[in-house]
Amino acid sequence: MRGYLLRRLPSALLVLLVASFVAFALLRLVPGDPAAVLAGPDASPETEAAIRTRLGLDAPLHTQYLQWIGDLLTGDLGPSYAIGGQTADLIADGLGATVELTLGALLFVVVLGAAFGILGATSRNRWVRGTVRALTTAALAVPPFVTGVLLVLLFAVLLGALPPGGRVPLLTAPDLGVQYLLLPALCLALPSAAVLGRYLKDGIERALAEDYVRTATAAGVAPRRLLWRHALPNALPPVVTLLGMQTGHLLGGAVLVEAIFAWPGLGQLAEQALVRRDYPVVQDLLLLLVTVFVLVQLLTDLVHARLDPRIRWE
Amino acid sequence: MTELYSTPSTALSRRTTLRAAGGGTLLLGLGLAGCRSAVSEAEAPAGKAGTGPRRGGTLTVAVNSDFTPSLLFAQSGQSLQHRLIYNTLTRYDDRLRPQPELATSWEYAQDGRSITLKLRSGVTYHDGRPFTADDVIFAVKNLQNPLRAAQLRATAAAVTGFEKRGDHELVLRLAHPVNNLFDLFEFMIVTDRHSVEDAVAGKKLNGTGPFKLTKWSPGTGLRFTRNEKYWQPDRPYLDGVEFRVVPQADALLSSLRTGQSQLSFSVPGKNLAVVASTPDLAISEYTTGGGAFYLGVNTTVAPLNDKTVRQALAWAVDRERILKQVLGGYGLASATPWPKSSPAFSETGRTHYTYDPGKARELLKSAGHSRLDLPLLHINLPGDTAVAEAIQYDLKQIGVQVTLRPTDPATAQKNLIAQKMPGLWAMSHGFAQVQPSTLAVSAYPFNEAKNTSKFRSAAYTKVVREAWTTPETGARANTLRQQITDTLLDEAFIIDLVIRGAVQVAAKKLHGVTLNKFSYLNLDDAYLAG
Amino acid sequence: MTAQTAAHPPLARKPRHPYRAALATVRGRTGLTLVGLVVLAGLLAPLLAGHGPTDQSGLALAPPGTPGHPLGTDDLGRDLLARLLHGIRADLGIIAVAVPLGAVLGCLFALAAAAHPIADTVVQRTFDLILAFPGLILALAVTAVLGPGRLPVILVIALAEIPVFGRLLRTGILVQSGREYVTAARVGGTSGRRILTRHILPNAADPLVVQIAVSLTVAVFIEGAMSFLGVGVRPPEPTLGAVLSQSMPYLAQAPHFAAGPLVTVTALVLGLSLTAEALNREIRR
Repeated sequence: MRGYLLRRLPSALLVLLVASFVAFALLRLVPGDPAAVLAGPDASPETEAAIRTRLGLDAPLHTQYLQWIGDLLTGDLGPSYAIGGQTADLIADGLGATVELTLGALLFVVVLGAAFGILGATSRNRWVRGTVRALTTAALAVPPFVTGVLLVLLFAVLLGALPPGGRVPLLTAPDLGVQYLLLPALCLALPSAAVLGRYLKDGIERALAEDYVRTATAAGVAPRRLLWRHALPNALPPVVTLLGMQTGHLLGGAVLVEAIFAWPGLGQLAEQALVRRDYPVVQDLLLLLVTVFVLVQLLTDLVHARLDPRIRWE
Repeated sequence: MTELYSTPSTALSRRTTLRAAGGGTLLLGLGLAGCRSAVSEAEAPAGKAGTGPRRGGTLTVAVNSDFTPSLLFAQSGQSLQHRLIYNTLTRYDDRLRPQPELATSWEYAQDGRSITLKLRSGVTYHDGRPFTADDVIFAVKNLQNPLRAAQLRATAAAVTGFEKRGDHELVLRLAHPVNNLFDLFEFMIVTDRHSVEDAVAGKKLNGTGPFKLTKWSPGTGLRFTRNEKYWQPDRPYLDGVEFRVVPQADALLSSLRTGQSQLSFSVPGKNLAVVASTPDLAISEYTTGGGAFYLGVNTTVAPLNDKTVRQALAWAVDRERILKQVLGGYGLASATPWPKSSPAFSETGRTHYTYDPGKARELLKSAGHSRLDLPLLHINLPGDTAVAEAIQYDLKQIGVQVTLRPTDPATAQKNLIAQKMPGLWAMSHGFAQVQPSTLAVSAYPFNEAKNTSKFRSAAYTKVVREAWTTPETGARANTLRQQITDTLLDEAFIIDLVIRGAVQVAAKKLHGVTLNKFSYLNLDDAYLAG
Repeated sequence: MTAQTAAHPPLARKPRHPYRAALATVRGRTGLTLVGLVVLAGLLAPLLAGHGPTDQSGLALAPPGTPGHPLGTDDLGRDLLARLLHGIRADLGIIAVAVPLGAVLGCLFALAAAAHPIADTVVQRTFDLILAFPGLILALAVTAVLGPGRLPVILVIALAEIPVFGRLLRTGILVQSGREYVTAARVGGTSGRRILTRHILPNAADPLVVQIAVSLTVAVFIEGAMSFLGVGVRPPEPTLGAVLSQSMPYLAQAPHFAAGPLVTVTALVLGLSLTAEALNREIRR
């Protein structure tokens, strides 16, 4: 396995290198620069030029690139150009918010997924099963920007029960924080909860159809005991693997949900930094995302390679 | 598949499934059962019902964009916090007459080439350091620095000499007379000269204002507490102020309606109808406009180099419809940039161009055109897009086919400064709310020497320079203003459409809020009634 | 969404008509009906809409049921029915080009990867790179370079779909190559190309068919997200996403503004998902 890892490492590093080129070049291909943004709508070209010089945007591109990489390697991300504050602080704050949202959503995924799965597999009532099936299909299909709008409309505008957007960090004020977290976490969780519910339902059904379960039923073991003692334990392992995969999806989906609910996470930071052409923030953020992605890929491939001996990359 | 395996023998009792579902509900209810509700958290503490000012309470302000420390000295989209943390030297009243703030009195020299300021004594910064004339000298010099991107840099740069007479008297010497010095004093926040670099990095903002900044969370908001040693006795009334960033218009509106915030200047025009129908909220309009929507014309693109064509465009746009449909009816349809409070305002100027497609077509015909194809650049945000779409439709009616070019704000900004605009663009400008000369000197679209329209005329340059250096009152000043207005209308390189003042939405229990001419929020006298 | 369709490969060669059987199930029929209705509305837009989709009037935010405007009007007095129908039309035009484009390019990449180990590594890492870059930034960059319009939207969708299809086919090829029948054919002297076209590809294709249905929903989603970001098609042309994003400021005041696109998007993606599910179930059987 170590040999495999060593073989994969160079190409992973290459991806990071290319990603750093792309991240650096992308912003400079897009018209508009941070100096123009900082100068404001009524500024003169002289003002803009002065700001450009201060930001070091006059320097040749390769110098700027090396400077950036050098800063990265020394661990000093430096100040943000347009948003204000230190790049590292901005990213840390955003990461905290995104992780909070993702964890909140994960909780919903587990709870809703379990409810969907157990109800769907074991309810005696056709209508309950039908409703669960319809709900999972809808939750899976309808894009978050639609469910988000509906949730805001229902809970914030019509009922006025929950705030429509914003965030109070869970650690500073847990009681308020939870209320801000509920809608975005639910919106983010729905598709994954549906996926989980389906797998769980299939798993329970399969387990309940096993011969030993049928025998136990015939012997008079209580159905509830069967579910908790036999069906669930058998259905769980693949579901846990799936949950791990869905966590990645949640992190990715968080970007859009953050925009809908004004949740100040990494997605919001990326958009804000992009709109203001905050070069260092966008570059560092992009590289961070690519790094995380590459690591996840590497891990997934490792697991796959261990599980399935047929897949070999020679 | 369900049907296949769901034999009655394996079905669970109802109780079990209910219990499973109950767990979820419990989790959901956790927040709701908590001691506070996020939806009504900002209620002021219960006090005696009264009508007079009352100490205490925290005011929450909903803003749609965050504070940008690097723009501390430039007019930016969000300048509300400036007058909370800092003070200015003077402030204008409703009729553009300066009133004392940190400067208690002032006297111009006969020749208009110097001004003597008396400064308030007993004022201290939040860190305890006393305010002196050196701070004012620093403030002016700071704005002369092009890095600060201050729009009023030209005026600050006209101050070439500083003469200190003790700690609280100062003479400013001018290279030439300027008539918008009090615009500068209204604009220029007096910061701590020792920590200015920390201020523009957002690390430490030390001022003399009524509130101290206690926390800035980028992207989330700002928190202020009362300055117990404020130079105005017994002020401010409020214990604290919180700015909460709510970028999404609907969420912002809803935070006001549910009482999570009590004040905002960021409600889009289209949402004001909803506010008007909410009993707890009051709308008030600042007639001193902070911005104006305009249609910019690149005068080097044929056939827009013909002023007849530009005038045809000015007649073709239905300003009243844009005002009503896009801006919710708040604002003033106007062909000139001047709000009603401006000394340059005149009703004849405002209605110089009205909606007259027939006349527009005639003008176009007289210039030898029956059909034109023109690109129009606009910012790709919803409100700006709606304005552009309305312009496009109106111009189509006179035979001008417009192709919209939605552009993100940074690129639009870049094109504006680099003079790389296509034939037409739609954006907004500021600076018409103060001394009229400031507009032509400080607002880039109107600049006489260099502007995005690439419009140049010796006559315009001459009248602008003269207007800037002539005392702001008197017959000569009026004549010069009229000449500027006439040039703008006749040349139509910037076609003003709708002037939009700041629109304030506030809880009815909130009193005493004012904005200065540069949209700095003044809460010295603000209080939340019981 | 893709996780659910990372379908288990067929265990053996199946009888030929599983798709028709799939589409004849309740699920399949419901899905096809929903998709069919939306597609029909889009195709017939010029006949059904009584107004031009960009014609403005003084009648702003008229409620549904206003004479001449069955769904009401928007903020600039444009007929909402006309905007909805033409919006569907625009969306269909975009996704019908973009998804097949992405699928074809993705498959070509996968085939290239199958040809040589070095090509495989390059393709794999390229996919990683595309997938790792947030779509948001991709969308903004592409639009900034090309200017607004349909083309950037199509390109962004296609770009997002390339690695999805590419990986799916690549995995399919890898899995099938290890199967006994392939080994048998190889031992029997069949040429590599023939094994690929006759044995491997037909068996690896089923998940791709399902993925097309899933990708169509993702495409609707990307179009909407781009409109929300202000980098969608050139205004004033309506799309489902554009109309929905324009309606956002009026959610409380005029919910009917948002209702049309909300219902249509839901019907369309639900229909496509049901179809995908029906196909998936049949293939897995």
